[in-house]
Amino acid sequence: MIRDNKFFIENPYGRWVRDNLFSSSSSAFLTFFAGFMVIYSYRGIVGFILNPERMWTSVTYNMKLYMILAYPDEAMIRVWLSVGLALLLGGLSIGFYNSGKTISLGGIFQKLFTISAVIALLIALAPTNTNVIQNDGSIEVVEIIPQDVRMLILGPSLVLTLAFFFLKNIKIKSLFNTAKVNLTYCGLIIASLYFIKIPTISLDSSGERIIPDPFLPIASTTYIPWTILYVGMLIFFFIGSLLKNRDIKIMARLIPIGWFLCPLFIFSWIFKKPLVELNTVFSADIPSILVFGIIGFLIIRFSDNQSLGAYRTPINIGFLVLSVVVFLLPVVFIFKATMVLLLLLLVVSPAIATTKEGKRQLFIVWVVSLFVLTFLIRGASSDTMLVTPTGSIFGGFSLTWLLAIFGTYASFPLGLALALGRTSTLPVIRIICTGIIEIVRSVPYITWLFFASVMLTVFLPSGVEFNLIIRVLILTAFFSGAYFAEYIRGGLQSIPKGQYEAANAIGMNPFQRIFLVIVPQALRAIIPTLVGSVITSFKDSSLVAIIGLFDILRIGTSVIPAQSQPVAFIGRNLEQLVFLSFFFWVFTFVFSRRSMKFEKRLGLGER
Amino acid sequence: MSIIKTVDVKKWFGDFQALKGISMEVSEGEVLVICGPSGSGKSTFIRCINRLEQHQEGEIVVDGIELTNDLKNIEAIRSEVGMVFQSFNLFPHLTVMQNITLAPIWVRKKSRSESEEKAMELLERVGIPEQAQKFPGQLSGGQQQRVAIARALAMEPKIMLFDEPTSALDPEMIKEVLDAMKELAESGMTMIVVTHEMGFAKEVADRVMLFDDGLMVEENTPKEFFDNPKNERTKLFLSQIL
Amino acid sequence: MLGKVLKNFDIRTFWRDVRFLKWAGQVLFLVLFAYSLVLFVQTGINNLQSTNIPFSFDFLGDPPGVSIAEGFETLPDSGLRMLHVGMFNMIRIMIGGIIVATIFGTLLGIARLSSNWIVEKAATALLEVVRNVPLLVQILFFQAFLLAFPRLEERDRGEITFHVSSKGIAYPWPERQESAFMFFGFLLLTIYLARRVFKWRVSLLEKEGRDTNPFLWSFLTFLVLTFGNWVGGYKLMGIIGLISGYISIVFDSIPSIAYQVLFSVIAVFFAFRYIRKQIRNTDTGEIRGILSDDDYFRIILSGVVAVFVVLFMFMPLGQNLTYFLEGDELFYKSNWGIPQFFDGVAKKFDFNISGPPVIMSYPEIIQAGTTKFTRYSPDLGKVTTVGYFATWFGVTLYTAIFISEVVRSGIMAISKGQSEAGLSLGLRRRSLLRLIILPQAFRVMLPPMGNQYLNLAKNTSLGVAVAYPEVVAVGQTLYNQEGQTLPVFLVWMIFYCSISLSISSIINYYNRKMKIVER
Repeated sequence: MIRDNKFFIENPYGRWVRDNLFSSSSSAFLTFFAGFMVIYSYRGIVGFILNPERMWTSVTYNMKLYMILAYPDEAMIRVWLSVGLALLLGGLSIGFYNSGKTISLGGIFQKLFTISAVIALLIALAPTNTNVIQNDGSIEVVEIIPQDVRMLILGPSLVLTLAFFFLKNIKIKSLFNTAKVNLTYCGLIIASLYFIKIPTISLDSSGERIIPDPFLPIASTTYIPWTILYVGMLIFFFIGSLLKNRDIKIMARLIPIGWFLCPLFIFSWIFKKPLVELNTVFSADIPSILVFGIIGFLIIRFSDNQSLGAYRTPINIGFLVLSVVVFLLPVVFIFKATMVLLLLLLVVSPAIATTKEGKRQLFIVWVVSLFVLTFLIRGASSDTMLVTPTGSIFGGFSLTWLLAIFGTYASFPLGLALALGRTSTLPVIRIICTGIIEIVRSVPYITWLFFASVMLTVFLPSGVEFNLIIRVLILTAFFSGAYFAEYIRGGLQSIPKGQYEAANAIGMNPFQRIFLVIVPQALRAIIPTLVGSVITSFKDSSLVAIIGLFDILRIGTSVIPAQSQPVAFIGRNLEQLVFLSFFFWVFTFVFSRRSMKFEKRLGLGER
Repeated sequence: MSIIKTVDVKKWFGDFQALKGISMEVSEGEVLVICGPSGSGKSTFIRCINRLEQHQEGEIVVDGIELTNDLKNIEAIRSEVGMVFQSFNLFPHLTVMQNITLAPIWVRKKSRSESEEKAMELLERVGIPEQAQKFPGQLSGGQQQRVAIARALAMEPKIMLFDEPTSALDPEMIKEVLDAMKELAESGMTMIVVTHEMGFAKEVADRVMLFDDGLMVEENTPKEFFDNPKNERTKLFLSQIL
Repeated sequence: MLGKVLKNFDIRTFWRDVRFLKWAGQVLFLVLFAYSLVLFVQTGINNLQSTNIPFSFDFLGDPPGVSIAEGFETLPDSGLRMLHVGMFNMIRIMIGGIIVATIFGTLLGIARLSSNWIVEKAATALLEVVRNVPLLVQILFFQAFLLAFPRLEERDRGEITFHVSSKGIAYPWPERQESAFMFFGFLLLTIYLARRVFKWRVSLLEKEGRDTNPFLWSFLTFLVLTFGNWVGGYKLMGIIGLISGYISIVFDSIPSIAYQVLFSVIAVFFAFRYIRKQIRNTDTGEIRGILSDDDYFRIILSGVVAVFVVLFMFMPLGQNLTYFLEGDELFYKSNWGIPQFFDGVAKKFDFNISGPPVIMSYPEIIQAGTTKFTRYSPDLGKVTTVGYFATWFGVTLYTAIFISEVVRSGIMAISKGQSEAGLSLGLRRRSLLRLIILPQAFRVMLPPMGNQYLNLAKNTSLGVAVAYPEVVAVGQTLYNQEGQTLPVFLVWMIFYCSISLSISSIINYYNRKMKIVER
């Protein structure tokens, strides 16, 4: 019937319906069956969410707890600064990496049409009633969406749908930049914070909770900071665009470095408020910067000195031995880290510091990195000045991102080393690395977390004590390092043999061959996989809730369902878990989609 | 005076004997073409000279240095011998310029500016100076192979080895690579070329060798080799290929 | 041979000889690795000795003093027994999960490739939701969801067929009787025989060229034998029990020294054979006459392993192992020795057992002991507890989603040219999928599928979050009780390593089989 009907052949919409829904009798059956299932599940979900038994205020009321646990109120500005730093950097990156892709007005209306049509459809399909299971096992039917409410929402959305349907066919030549359009959408969301009213828990003068919860506007402590951050992001977006237009090449290097340093800076200074004493700065840090600055200057100055050329290898080896010795000596950590940096300078300077210009630039880079390193380590190694009742300034979402990001930072170099060991031609090294990787991988993450929480201290020399977060990070580094190693090994094995031969033929030694030729190609080939595994470690970080760290999951499953003051949220697990699912989902989904687009644009993953 | 000398070189892959005792000499400035059916050991032989393969018996002496397990000798020989591969083997993550300057900077420890100057010179010599900032993936096969020649020359080798440099190329690109090689031969470079391009052998080579089944069956001047082959095997080979 | 090894080895420049450098570097690496390992372990032992709880495995034999919420034994009499219950609980979830996740994941993967818009979109939406939410959150959600159901009250008591409450899900289940083992043993035999009949009829068909109805024949064989099996034919299997009884007696009489000597001899014999093979075999060595680094390494390693096995067998720990094989009562009261195993088999396969192999059993809600609480009867029907359901469902759904991705990409990898070829032969879409694409895609899918099974096995450990007593949760209970954290961790490690090894070896076996078929 559908096959022969004229409408389904001539009309493009009709043809779509025929081809995609009713192409054969079994397809028609599937359409009805799947359609029924989808609508049924959708109505179930809506019934579940709008059920009067749900107490969603238990989520909104505890939003701050979720994000930062017991971070002191008077230091809230630090939290906003941390978020702000990331957003500003985000704005700068969006502006600078703006692909210049444009969308026509018709395209925008097309999207708006789809959205409003979907909303109208969802409203129309939403259930009127839902079932509430009473304590005696009987089922009561409760009205959740009265007809007048449904009409009140359905009417405008239908009007909008119709309006956009006609608007989308208007052919207007003007094009809009997609990045700017998306930023405008963000702005609309920020603006809606000023108007929207949500049910809020409020207490009357005697401390009793008002029931039902009145609809109140969003607190000014929420929307004012967001507005400021949004404006800042906009400003940085335009700065980024300006830099792109001026074609300032160095930004292409600075922005990734900025993204790398941003979490470190947030961790060591902004979030922490470290206790820094001026006399340690003057007696340790500044002299160390001066001394290493001068040593670096000498290295750069004499790196292309012909008469020293013959002694280069002994000098390099001497420095290597010296830095190993320094690493074993009980000196301050800054000194050790700077020594490693110095070794790096020694290796790269002959390649870069060949002209006067190159020398000058390398020296600037050297001094800046010295400052950054000292600055970060000074912050991280100092005690915090903040006092929290839980003892740790990290909790809730701030702990989750800390674990995810630093877990990745630590596990990546370890994974690279293990992968190189496993693909080595030297059997002893290969067997040991294979053993480590396989053993670590075959045991579940949660058992390693138990190892960190109760067993790791046993293996550390007495006197050395790490706090639980650090111990978890150490084990996470090993665990995801082993996984990274397998992905990187996949990349290494995809490099054709000819690349090794070519590197050999032009006389490279094994280290140069690996780090200049093989590893850059291998990493490029597996960037999508690596992004996937970063997302996995973000999801896995929720497991620390089991060993008693107060991450966002543990707050949702044991802190809030135990609250009785000022409002009783006892036993409110389901709401928290739905919220947490949604929260994790938004992060991972957006991140994976964005990275997919980004990879496509950079043309990565293709050789 | 001979710059490469091999005595009774033998090599096995498992039970298969790829080289059954090759003895030969190449004098400085000479262009030697090696041809032969596939699987005859000609590629294996020139890869042994560069120690990309390890020979098991016999002696290889390059420019007075014997090729042994001594790391210093291996490094010394590799820096005197440049090699061009059948499948180019350019580094796809680096630009043409970076491909050429990589070894001079990191192995020879030369300054970047000096290496880049030299690289431009070489690119001009092989005829593609305008491609310096492109990535290998953006070039045609012939251009890629010319970059590979420039990359090998950047190390200032005394000897160049060519392992079937034109086999992976489309017919219209073969000529540009052969022209670059011809120019190189005229400049007095010592070259060993494994190829099926008989035209090139006739025109440029000082000597032609035929390998078959791990042995050198004929060695002669090009004129004699093509016009008046001594060996039956050579006649058969020439009749198949010409 | 030594002459070849030392060919061209110049003593004056040995420090820059490639071979020397390789081995010196490896030995240095090994020494550093071993040193840090020893340091690590030494610190651990010292620290443990300074505490009140020295490292020991004694807790495995001692009564744990706690009960387990569910499993084949809720009041185990030793730590090891308790761990066995945990392991069994874990394997239960793993096997159920693997089966259901494979079926559901395959269907979902095919749905994602469907030309039907709504089916494709629904499958994709499910994928995007499940994949982007942490598994732990999902498991906790399923737990909370079930817990939100009404509690069991006094008024619910009585026989039921299906019931959901905050205590779990109860439903009817065929209950295994005494004769079940024999019945299923006979069933396996029946399937084998039916296959043989099928092959025999097919060969007859090929030989004589007439229709011999192979399918009908084998089906009839199966039916007749199964009917006979059901009414008592399984008693034939008693012969296995008889043999097992004798084997048990034989193993019981072997002294432990025999095992020690046997294992030592086997180790030395295989090491010797292996070394001889490596030296003689010129095929494997890349370079004729000269052994490669790997060959040397293999020779040294196999020698070291052999010596180590011999030493180990005559050390106390090795002796413990033989006690285990011997089934000595002293071995932590495990009763898991070779003679015990055969004795158990002999008891299960007895001529005297009779009655039907399975009986349908219906659940019942009863009073818990003499208390005022109400619960499901533990013996009747089947009760899926909240912890089991949450873990199993969460793990299965999560794995199914990833399997669907494997299936989808497997089919996509094959599809293009192959389906064109199939269509040009006149195959219809469905038979195309079944006959051409799926068999080939299966080969591509197998290794990543194995990875997903491994992940599933590891993810069952999240049961600890919903108080499902699998091996990690049980281990945690044990070390909270006894303070022996490290031994428990070692047990976990050995258990999960062997699970991973078994899954990957099964997958590798099929992988190899597939490859042979390909030729």
